[in-house]
Amino acid sequence: MDRPRTFQKESITVAFMVRQLRETVGVEVTPANDAVDAAERSVTESTLHRPGLALTGYVDLFTHQRVQILGNTETRYLRQLDAADRRAAFGHLTQFSVPCIVLTDGNEVDASLVDMATEAGIPVYRTPLPTVQFMSSLRNFLADQFALQRAVHGSLVDVYGIGLLLIGPPGIGKSEVALDLVERGHRLVADDVVIATQRDESILMGAGTDLVQHFMEVRGLGLVDIRSMFGIRSIRFQKRIEIVVHMELWDEEKEYTRINMVKDTHEILGVDLPMVRVPITPGKNITVICEVIATNYLLRHYGHDPAEVFTERLRNRIQQEGPPAPRRGIEYFERDYE
Amino acid sequence: MIEREVTIRNRAGLHTRPASMLVKTASRFESAVYLCRDNYEINGKSVIGVMTLAAEQGAVLTLVVEGEDETEAADAIEALFEDGFGEEL
Repeated sequence: MDRPRTFQKESITVAFMVRQLRETVGVEVTPANDAVDAAERSVTESTLHRPGLALTGYVDLFTHQRVQILGNTETRYLRQLDAADRRAAFGHLTQFSVPCIVLTDGNEVDASLVDMATEAGIPVYRTPLPTVQFMSSLRNFLADQFALQRAVHGSLVDVYGIGLLLIGPPGIGKSEVALDLVERGHRLVADDVVIATQRDESILMGAGTDLVQHFMEVRGLGLVDIRSMFGIRSIRFQKRIEIVVHMELWDEEKEYTRINMVKDTHEILGVDLPMVRVPITPGKNITVICEVIATNYLLRHYGHDPAEVFTERLRNRIQQEGPPAPRRGIEYFERDYE
Repeated sequence: MIEREVTIRNRAGLHTRPASMLVKTASRFESAVYLCRDNYEINGKSVIGVMTLAAEQGAVLTLVVEGEDETEAADAIEALFEDGFGEEL
């Protein structure tokens, strides 16, 4: 068995896809044949197809299971055929169980063709959006719908705009650190169960589950609702996961990094994320450490690597001939005296 | 590693009380405990995690236990399911 287990949607109905396109993606899509029940048809692939060759009759490798896009080329090709040929050409599409057909760029086809689709039970839609733009929006939407997902045990908090995923053994205090971060003005994405979704090759998005949202279990207290308790400023619904903070009990045998903060990586859904191991010892304020991890990441992201800067400084000093003992950083009367 | 199928037998499903019983039992053991429903896999030692399964009566879950005391842990957890968490079946 593969562990950890991953899951992904196998299909979505055309009705759901169109509703989401309209409501959440904000794309104008209007049905051309209302009589067809779009809830009966489903989409199983995130790739789209422009059926140019299929219209000409070559259907050997026709990917009819994909959403079919008819743009300017296809509709103009159909238009220059005579009525009988046009029906025959369109028939090459409707003979297959196509999920749906979308006419882009405000294009239209003859009512008789729409009737053929209706008979075949294929929903037809129209959109005023240019083909390339519509295909890009739809592809992005479908890629997200069919993206690989998995549940990760940990807490995801947005700290200064950086998505910090706190992981570690049960009872180590992930929720408590998340709570403390929220208390200091950072935003909770999810606690305990984070649904990670792969987006592109190297981007991982994290969100909570629809059931739990921003509830949190704090040992000894029970369930607390962060959104009600701390308000809208304290939460967000999704965030790119950028750093993994692995909380663990201090292990004397293990060597922890002293100079370079990020060296380890942690793999989730094939994406290697930078990981910082934070050993837990008495008196250590993990919340502040999380903030420093985030700000340090920001610095490095904007081109300032403290470890590198310091190493460079030290190298210069070693090469210089000068007094061997460390000097004061400043002469007393130089600046800010008092 | 032990992998077993378990079925929710009690009428009310895996609601708050059974979820906390399950987590309490799982936490007694060193082994890692996972529960999966349709490949949605959660940590069996997290109450919130277990509750997100929203498992109703008749739902079949996969119990995965891994560690030194896995046999004892798997048996103890399976017994809870068998018993319907002491609730009405």
